[in-house]
Amino acid sequence: MTPLSILAYTTTSAAGIGKAATAAALCDARSGLVPNDLEWAPLKCWIGRVRAAEELTLPAAFAAYDCRNNRLALLALEQDGFVPAVAAARQRHGAGRVGVFLGTSTSGILSTEIAYRQRDTHTGRLPAEYRYETTHSLNATTEFVRGVLGLTGPAMTISTACSSSAKVFCLAERFIRMGLIDAAVVGGVDSLCGTTLYGFNSLQLVAPDICRPFDAARHGISIGEAAGFALLEKEGAAAQTPARTSLRLLGYGETCDAYHMTAPHAEGDGARRAMLEALGRAQLGTREIDYVNLHGTATPSNDRAEGHAVYGVFGAATPCSSTKGFTGHTLGAAGITEAAITLLSLEHAFLPGSPTTRALDRETHCGIVLRGRPAALSRAMSNNFGFGGNNCALVFGKDG
Amino acid sequence: MRIFVETVGVLAPGLQDWESARAVIVRERPYVAAPMAAVAPASLPSTERRRSSPAVRLAIAVAEQALQRTPLSPQDMAMVFSSFEASGVITHQLCEALAGNREVSPTQFHNSVHNAPSGYYSIAMNAKLAASSVCRGKWSFAAGLLNAAVQALADKLPVLYVCYDSPLPAPLCDVMPVIEATAIALVLTPAPSPKSLAVWDIALNPGDGETAWPDWAPAAWHANACVRGLAALATIADPACRVAALPFSPELNVVVSRC
Repeated sequence: MTPLSILAYTTTSAAGIGKAATAAALCDARSGLVPNDLEWAPLKCWIGRVRAAEELTLPAAFAAYDCRNNRLALLALEQDGFVPAVAAARQRHGAGRVGVFLGTSTSGILSTEIAYRQRDTHTGRLPAEYRYETTHSLNATTEFVRGVLGLTGPAMTISTACSSSAKVFCLAERFIRMGLIDAAVVGGVDSLCGTTLYGFNSLQLVAPDICRPFDAARHGISIGEAAGFALLEKEGAAAQTPARTSLRLLGYGETCDAYHMTAPHAEGDGARRAMLEALGRAQLGTREIDYVNLHGTATPSNDRAEGHAVYGVFGAATPCSSTKGFTGHTLGAAGITEAAITLLSLEHAFLPGSPTTRALDRETHCGIVLRGRPAALSRAMSNNFGFGGNNCALVFGKDG
Repeated sequence: MRIFVETVGVLAPGLQDWESARAVIVRERPYVAAPMAAVAPASLPSTERRRSSPAVRLAIAVAEQALQRTPLSPQDMAMVFSSFEASGVITHQLCEALAGNREVSPTQFHNSVHNAPSGYYSIAMNAKLAASSVCRGKWSFAAGLLNAAVQALADKLPVLYVCYDSPLPAPLCDVMPVIEATAIALVLTPAPSPKSLAVWDIALNPGDGETAWPDWAPAAWHANACVRGLAALATIADPACRVAALPFSPELNVVVSRC
């Protein structure tokens, strides 16, 4: 495929607010996870909490959108000069020629959980101040972000569980290729809520201890919240602007396992096909990929299946790691969070490690990097897989 | 963008398939409200059917209708599902549990993801290509249709598109009044086939987010995102109707024109 320029990107998670803080955490092997201290969800586990988002106030015009998810979205938008970069794209192309495609799994469902705790004891009605459409709806954050950025182009939310905010890159590429838009803001936002904490716990997928991807003694995920965004544009469209970048989206692959709602295919067949499709679109061989950011949730089944698939495609030589030990599993925001970490790795010439992994599972044969180290990187892949057997692999590159 | 409509499926109270919907749209017969028969998709094994939610069964049943009318294999199609809330029953059950003893059932939780219908469908059909699950609030029909058409043309493959609304229980239906199940399925192809029902030009035009409802459509359906797609179906059913504007945002319509 014709590559797309990545003119700007930003990421906010427990590992760091913005790119510089996130890169520092990656280089220092510093996890952002903490023992769960949410008073409204007393579950024994570790979480990736972004406290700075909790006290944020939304602009008055967007007061109806106020919820944890949209506060987190706003905090992320305000980092790394992302809003001015989008404003420049809006200037170049017109507000109607820039799309907004965001991923989320639960959006602002926490608002509904709170409203259910406050139901009228006699009538069962929800409190008058509860707002469904601008907080709970999966469309709420997309409409909020679209409003804050002043964009009027095509917009929609993709919600395919933990691959949501990877798949928005694919959607944007097709819309740009078909000429419907010239640029797109892609990304995703997911915030801590009872639904995912207790839901994953009911499936026995939440680790009581910190998550340890690809560890022989891994016991499941640590849930985190995160938001991130990237600005994609046709190559060359911004050639005359000072904010030139050398980062590009080179390829992507999307598949279904067609196997099980919550368990991955045992040999990672869907993951394998997604990686191969991404390489095919990028017209790259496996040896041309310098790093693979793994989905690596730290559940026994995900890491076993993904390790098998990655070894099958890349063998043992290609360095790969899961960075969920830094951020936690940010679910619908995992795609953009790990895309951003992959781009940071390319920019900073650094292979991230896995700071919480102690002893590598001997069944893992792909080239897991446990301790981060400097390395010249030109091209890298990021994997994300979700419930429903929904898989996505992205390939990014850096010029020169 | 020129796209070909291979088949249509429709499910709503009083409309059990495309034939009955077509007859109402062209006014061969009046719309008569009737309770919808229990939806039991044949492709879902009974164990999976029991574990699934009403939203999953609705979406798969309408997809099956569309698939019955084409020789194309579901395994060769990409998939786009769209819905405003997906499964309000499950949202309600989860939020009730979380407001109480916090004991969430694993089945409820996996049925709560917006892409549960897409996941169950891909398993039922052994369909392994790309699958998306789209939400654009009340404008979800237009968003999903545009996504599906773009995917069919960009990657030159047939796409199954399903838009569905599953009823919400109280108290959620006070704030999101979807009270009747409705669903539309389309198979779109990038090139004509012997079965093609219609050829559409799809474009983005300025709009105001508002819907022009067919006068026969019950007011009770106005919260349902997929019902906004009836206007697009009218361009297939009714020779006198050539253009449909489907609201996509406060500023944009997806405009479907029969060629």
